[in-house]
Amino acid sequence: MTQIPLSYPTGQGAVAVKRAQAPSFGAWGLRFIALTYLGAFILVPLIVIQVQGVRFGLDVFWQSITRPEATSAILLSLYTSAIMAALNTVIGTLTAYVLVRYRFPGKRLFNMLIDLPFAIPTLVIGVMLVLLYGPQTPIGRFFDTTLDIQILFAVPGIVLALLLVGYPFVIRAVQPVLLQMDFSQTEAAQTIGASAWTTFWRVIFPALRPAIVTGALLSFARSLGEFGSIIVVAGNIPMRSQMGTVYVYTQVEAGNLQAASSVSMVLLLIAFGVTVGIDLLKWRRHA
Amino acid sequence: MARLRLGLFTLIVFIVSTFAPVAAQDAAPPITLTLAGYAVPREAYGDIIPLFQSYWQEQTGQQVIVLESYQASGAQSRAVASGFEADVVALSLQPDIQSLVDAGLVSADWKEDNDYQGFATQSLVVLAVRPDNPRGILDWADLAQEDIEIITPDPATSGGAQWNILAAAGAAQRGFVAGYEGESGGAKFLRALIGNIAVLDRDGRESFLTFERGIGDVAITYENEVYAGLAVGGEYSLIYPTSTILIENPVAVVDSYVDLHGTREVAEAFVNFLRSPDAQRAFANRGFRPVNPLVRVEYGIADADVEVTPDPQAAPAVVERNPDITFPAVTDLFTIAEFGGWSEARPAYFSEEGIFTQIIAEAQGG
Amino acid sequence: MRETEARSPVAIALIIGVLGYAALLFIAPLLAMINGAFAKGLEPLLATFQDPSVIHAFQVTLLLSFAAVVINTLLGLTTAWVLVRHRFRGRNLFDTLVDIPFVFSPVIAGYAMIVLFGRNGWLAPPLFPIVFAFPGILLAKVFVSLPFIIREVQPVLEALTPEPEDAAYTIGASRWTTFRRVVLPEIWTALLYGIVLTFARAIGEFGAVTVISGNIEGYTETATSFVFRALNDRNNTGAYGVSVLLCLFSVVILIAMNALRGRIIHKEP
Repeated sequence: MTQIPLSYPTGQGAVAVKRAQAPSFGAWGLRFIALTYLGAFILVPLIVIQVQGVRFGLDVFWQSITRPEATSAILLSLYTSAIMAALNTVIGTLTAYVLVRYRFPGKRLFNMLIDLPFAIPTLVIGVMLVLLYGPQTPIGRFFDTTLDIQILFAVPGIVLALLLVGYPFVIRAVQPVLLQMDFSQTEAAQTIGASAWTTFWRVIFPALRPAIVTGALLSFARSLGEFGSIIVVAGNIPMRSQMGTVYVYTQVEAGNLQAASSVSMVLLLIAFGVTVGIDLLKWRRHA
Repeated sequence: MARLRLGLFTLIVFIVSTFAPVAAQDAAPPITLTLAGYAVPREAYGDIIPLFQSYWQEQTGQQVIVLESYQASGAQSRAVASGFEADVVALSLQPDIQSLVDAGLVSADWKEDNDYQGFATQSLVVLAVRPDNPRGILDWADLAQEDIEIITPDPATSGGAQWNILAAAGAAQRGFVAGYEGESGGAKFLRALIGNIAVLDRDGRESFLTFERGIGDVAITYENEVYAGLAVGGEYSLIYPTSTILIENPVAVVDSYVDLHGTREVAEAFVNFLRSPDAQRAFANRGFRPVNPLVRVEYGIADADVEVTPDPQAAPAVVERNPDITFPAVTDLFTIAEFGGWSEARPAYFSEEGIFTQIIAEAQGG
Repeated sequence: MRETEARSPVAIALIIGVLGYAALLFIAPLLAMINGAFAKGLEPLLATFQDPSVIHAFQVTLLLSFAAVVINTLLGLTTAWVLVRHRFRGRNLFDTLVDIPFVFSPVIAGYAMIVLFGRNGWLAPPLFPIVFAFPGILLAKVFVSLPFIIREVQPVLEALTPEPEDAAYTIGASRWTTFRRVVLPEIWTALLYGIVLTFARAIGEFGAVTVISGNIEGYTETATSFVFRALNDRNNTGAYGVSVLLCLFSVVILIAMNALRGRIIHKEP
């Protein structure tokens, strides 16, 4: 079970509690409701996608995902999400550290703003970025003419959008762990003369690692499915700047449902694999 | 006894006053018409719909509410086929209506009941460049230069994109692109051009907006789309290539849905209204080339073999001519017939094995 | 870890770096958007908010998002309960399913709906139109915001010790009363937090809506669809104005999230 970051220490894992007095009729009713809910909303779309993907046979399925545009789109999604996750790991950890460790003016406001990317519609995120970093803005023009880097409608723009969307994940995963951390170890390290960096690296970081990894993997998985901001900032040149989700969208709009489904399945499998991986890590830790 | 009479009297007054307004009402309740359009004519329909509403009100006393939706022609066509219950479709190219015929939604004789083969407007494929034209782009051949960035939409969804590609290929085939003449010239030119495409947007409007936002050196687009941008203060120069394709945009009533909704009469009236002089003038004022012969003459489009005698009985024009719009002739104007019609052109260029699809895969894959 | 005053140059550099990054990443763009909304002055902006299609778009968005929240709260709470308290074959499978909407591209969800409920769909023809109409939009919003309540409530439910509930049963309380009086207060904060997240996600949904709503202006258009359309209409004031308004909603949501999270984190395990 993956937790959306911003969690808090959990208990001892799932406990099956048998209520001897509870009438099982009600229990079956509840179970029926829950399973129908999940089945209807999640299983059914999954089945639809799978059927659409393989309806012409596995070889057609394979063909549609190995087409150059499809492969390129999937790889671009993986590549940009990975870059974003890596950058986010560093920045997120540092941000969480700063938030927990230091007092500074505006800290409470800043802490609140961290969640902004969670709360704003992704389309608006894209619009905001175009407005500030688009080719006609001072910043965009500077990058284009002076540094010959095109930000928006190219790969840097995609990474930028993903960084914004994934911003809170690592921070919110790491914060609670830092808050609950035992200060005595760091104090001990400092009394024996360890530098701030060594203290961080040898004492604090290992304890944070699981949370960091969780946050990074979550942001990675989330990015694979990101659409709203990408549709505004990405260039959509097949094989150059077309993301997996946009490729799927184009195929849907172009009526190539089989191609759209196949690539979706691949993206979904990868993202899902990542979330299952997170769960496994968690179960191992609690074991 | 007096109380009973009073009660009876009140009752009668009550009944009469309830039904009297109904009796006095000879107008029918308002009717809703859903229009599914392609991306670029949204402003034009914004002008035309109020004209139609007053026309219909005058003719029948009924109020008509028009719901509008605009998106890429291909995508819109597919949406209607998947269950978007539009009463009227106004799309960029004929094949997008044909797919609705194939889906059983539009009757096969949709083109027959008018003098216009189903078309409501025309346009041309043109080029738009930055105001001072720093790259010196004057015609198709300049688009094949090294490191020119071209903006055009994606043929997978956009009708305008298909017109664009065929215009380029046709111009080359007909010998108007230096260095790319002849039968094989078309494909060669496309190869050079496609290598220079910077962004492939979903539809004509989004594509031109990308150009407006500063991406690219030249945009290939509809003539009317450039006019739409100029009308709101956009800054670019409109360039007419020496050779280009005549764009013809069809409109059709979606028979299945109008019968389902009971809107056939108003839908057919709407489609016919689009070709009336005032609606055509409204289109023309937005940069769409009219199909109505009378209005064509008014806007300076010369048709060699058409005699137009203005009708002295005709109603005076409600819509005034927009002086900023001109419709110059181009040196060489060809139609989709150059490619043997859409039934040949579409598969040849835009199917899985089509020329465009192949070139995109090659050009970008390297 | 205890808070300290930032004194060393390293500390100050870190703070500036972190804040600077955040500023570049989203505070500056947010300000740019507010600036863009007011670019043509206050009047056009106010005109936007009085435009009937904008008002209607917000009505559609808020109503349908609220409905999605209600559905997801009732059913999500039930699901969380079942996943934690029941043991049955396939429970783990269903548990992992809950994460799917989180990583699923919403466009695909929309298109799956068309395959199911569209004109030649598997489950067509329905009694009333689902796709290209409000029910479809509602389903899309329910789908994308589905995991939040479940995932927020589950850990808290798991951490509950059995004693209080057992005590309630012993004194004869019904299951419902026990739930209401004993369990609900414990999970209340987490539930509220999940509701807030659900609402935010439902409002912001765009990908699926753009595929299945038909984007009928003034009718099935949501607030986010309106922004998209306004950009295409060259109505920048409208696009940025509505975006800013959506951000205002987000800020309110943010404040709620923040207040609730503070209470969650500082709860003793």
